[in-house]
Amino acid sequence: MTALNEEVRVIDAGRPPTRFARGWHCLGLARSFKDGQPHEIEAFGTRLVVFQGQDDGELHVLNAYCPHMGGNLAHGSVKGDAVACPFHDWRWSGNGRCTGIPYARRVPPRARTRSWLTLERNKQLFVWHDPEGKPPPDTVTIPEIPGVHGPKAGEWSDWTWKTLRVEGSNCREIVDNIVDMAHFFYVHYSFPEYFKNVFEGHIATQYMESSPRGDMDLGTLSAGGLRSDASYYGPSYMIDYLYSDIGGGTEMEIVLINCHYPIDENSFLLQYGAIVRQLPGMTREQAEEAAAQTAEGAAAGFEQDVEIWKNKTRIDNPLLTEEDGPVYQLRRWYEQFYVDTADVKDEMTRRFEFEIDTERANQAWRAEVAANLAQREAQREAQRAAAPGTGA
Amino acid sequence: MRPVECLTCGNQVLCEKFSPAHTSVQWTADAAVACAEFRARVAEGAHSARIRTCRELRNSIEQAVAEGELEVADV
Repeated sequence: MTALNEEVRVIDAGRPPTRFARGWHCLGLARSFKDGQPHEIEAFGTRLVVFQGQDDGELHVLNAYCPHMGGNLAHGSVKGDAVACPFHDWRWSGNGRCTGIPYARRVPPRARTRSWLTLERNKQLFVWHDPEGKPPPDTVTIPEIPGVHGPKAGEWSDWTWKTLRVEGSNCREIVDNIVDMAHFFYVHYSFPEYFKNVFEGHIATQYMESSPRGDMDLGTLSAGGLRSDASYYGPSYMIDYLYSDIGGGTEMEIVLINCHYPIDENSFLLQYGAIVRQLPGMTREQAEEAAAQTAEGAAAGFEQDVEIWKNKTRIDNPLLTEEDGPVYQLRRWYEQFYVDTADVKDEMTRRFEFEIDTERANQAWRAEVAANLAQREAQREAQRAAAPGTGA
Repeated sequence: MRPVECLTCGNQVLCEKFSPAHTSVQWTADAAVACAEFRARVAEGAHSARIRTCRELRNSIEQAVAEGELEVADV
């Protein structure tokens, strides 16, 4: 027995990183923070407050805990361009300065809290997180989505938006999905027929062409073929340009956002949303409805992912075949966000391309689906034979 | 991984092929600078990370396979 066990592959679960990734993190749709109330965000192992200044109209993000006595500003109220603490009414402006303490003769000279760098883009709110406290370089930003900012933005629906809190998993789990060709068949019920990854700089891309499994109904975005061109811009924000074949030679254009921010090292908030371009003859309402359906499809897909993550172990030494994507190279790319900028190595950012041979996998999967359908048909036949006259 | 040189611009990459359809390419220099095709597209405003493939490099890899310089594991 001992001799046999020596041959066994031992999982190295490793440990989640002790810091959080450097990068822009999407906190949600900007409009959801513009209701005049302060909002609490649990992220990066702490709590933040998001509020809109009444005069400047800008969204601001501060540490939620008031440096005075630790009150939670997110439970306070907005007064002018400041957020007021519910505990003693200390006022904090968007730049982190204390602008007033109504009962005190003087504001202490060091009354300053942490203000987080924000970006409003694609109708979403982002914060910059960097453990070293440096601002983002110009080359690292969130690109504008043409369907939101472009000249034809009027043809696109508004965002649908959903959130899913994932407990017991580090956010590396969702990032691994970029390279995981085979899970698209088992978890998301599609045939990934073409699959290529490109990692370069702070961007990681997955190009995929797929079609739905005939033996499953859930989790696919469309009944026909799907082309997907999806890039992570930094550690946590993915823009997925989707082209869905809806028959008659028509493709529906969809943009799906898949993003997250870490709550702590063992949980994260997954967020996703979609916009859809109106097809000729499609009303605005129909485009909104298509976006809602896309989000529903994505929801089913992500819930299936979460079910896997909830029950799996972290694994630092995955055992791979040639049909598995470049997991180790992806993690080498991802590592750049967890080290100081001075320690980012060329190997983490140099361009790397990996195109999987999907043919053998799809042959096996087509046969499996055909067998499932045949078995189902045989069962139906048997039922008909057992109860003659009741079948149609 | 084996070195392959682009026949058009001389850019050198490292390549591996498990099968005729599989290709793994590790670039050894800044792609936006080292590759003539990427340089041109970056000059037009593209981001090199968002270019799927360099056609010339791909042709060069195929050529290396045809000439037996780059071995395909599974043939």
